[in-house]
Amino acid sequence: MADKQKKTIVVTRFDPDKDEAPRQQRYEIPVEPDWKVLDALNYIKDHVDGTLSHRWSCRMAVCGSCGMNVDGTPKLTCKDALADYGDSVEVTPLANFPVVRDLVVDIEGFMERLQKVKPFILRAKELAVEDGPTRQSPVELDDFRQFSMCINCMLCYAACPVTTNEPDFLGPAAIALGHRYNLDTRDQGQAERNQVFREDGGVFACSYAGECSEVCPKHVDPSGAIQQAKMANVIDWVTGLVLRRGDAG
Amino acid sequence: MSHARPVIDAMKPTKPGATRTAPPRAPDGFPSRGNYRGYLAFGFGGFFLFTLSLLVLRSVWAIGTGEAAWNRLQAGFQNPLYVIYHAIAFLWLSWFILRLFRLFPATQPKRFGPFQRPPDAVMVAGLSGAFVVVTLALATILWGAV
Repeated sequence: MADKQKKTIVVTRFDPDKDEAPRQQRYEIPVEPDWKVLDALNYIKDHVDGTLSHRWSCRMAVCGSCGMNVDGTPKLTCKDALADYGDSVEVTPLANFPVVRDLVVDIEGFMERLQKVKPFILRAKELAVEDGPTRQSPVELDDFRQFSMCINCMLCYAACPVTTNEPDFLGPAAIALGHRYNLDTRDQGQAERNQVFREDGGVFACSYAGECSEVCPKHVDPSGAIQQAKMANVIDWVTGLVLRRGDAG
Repeated sequence: MSHARPVIDAMKPTKPGATRTAPPRAPDGFPSRGNYRGYLAFGFGGFFLFTLSLLVLRSVWAIGTGEAAWNRLQAGFQNPLYVIYHAIAFLWLSWFILRLFRLFPATQPKRFGPFQRPPDAVMVAGLSGAFVVVTLALATILWGAV
């Protein structure tokens, strides 16, 4: 039987109890041709070094847990074929995030941003069950379907230069999800979300580098969502001014 | 590669967790790779917006002061440094506007009220065409041909 192909996986290691700063560790392992990057990490964890920490769950690009930087680019490691890389592959934790341990990042900052935009349906008054379902046509659904595909993998944050430079920036996924609910005909929380969007670090902090949309594994196009949210907020703000003047008169 | 990246202050939670964390690092290749260059060029454009705004204020002030001041300002524009500055500002502005047009379709909703949005290529071609026509018309007027 022919020898298996070998690859060197260069992994970032960081133990908060021992290390002052993250360091690199190299593992030379046998690989299968159909392996994803995550398979290589799992092989290391199972057969070479059980102390390696990394997040993963579904292995089918749905849960969004296994996002890491692979050779410098944010990727879902369960979707990213190892064969696409050379003999040596570098895996680092997602950029722009504090590192808890090895390849595991602290997602608390992201969760706080997500909560700010209230990514769920808000109603001024809940409908009673006997009122029946709130209907939505396929055309209305199509207005936001793309933005609802977000799996919160945070790759967009790892690629975003505004997140790098402006610590208060809400960020691509949170804005895209907030905008998704603003476009939903069943939702009545636009005013509440738009207020958050217009704060410092809101939609207008984005200068449309577009890197978030390039790395998005679900083709959500967060940068497009942010620009749409900007336009909607300008219209909302102007409409508010005009209506208020009208009311005063 | 990754360990040479600068430490930054991004995505930190408002309350630090129980575990000590390593600080975040900037993305690989930042700011020289891919779209990051466009991001920087966009930011650098603030210099032109600021200085051109000052120039407009100075021009308004010159008009208000009298014909002699206005003529002096006009003569000052013949200075090679001014010409170079305006040439670079024009290039940046053209890049900025054409980039905006290229990105414009993604900023638009799927429908304009009851109407389907036009194809992306039509939007980009329409905006770029209008830009070229307006630029040529303005250049013709400023050249004194009209």
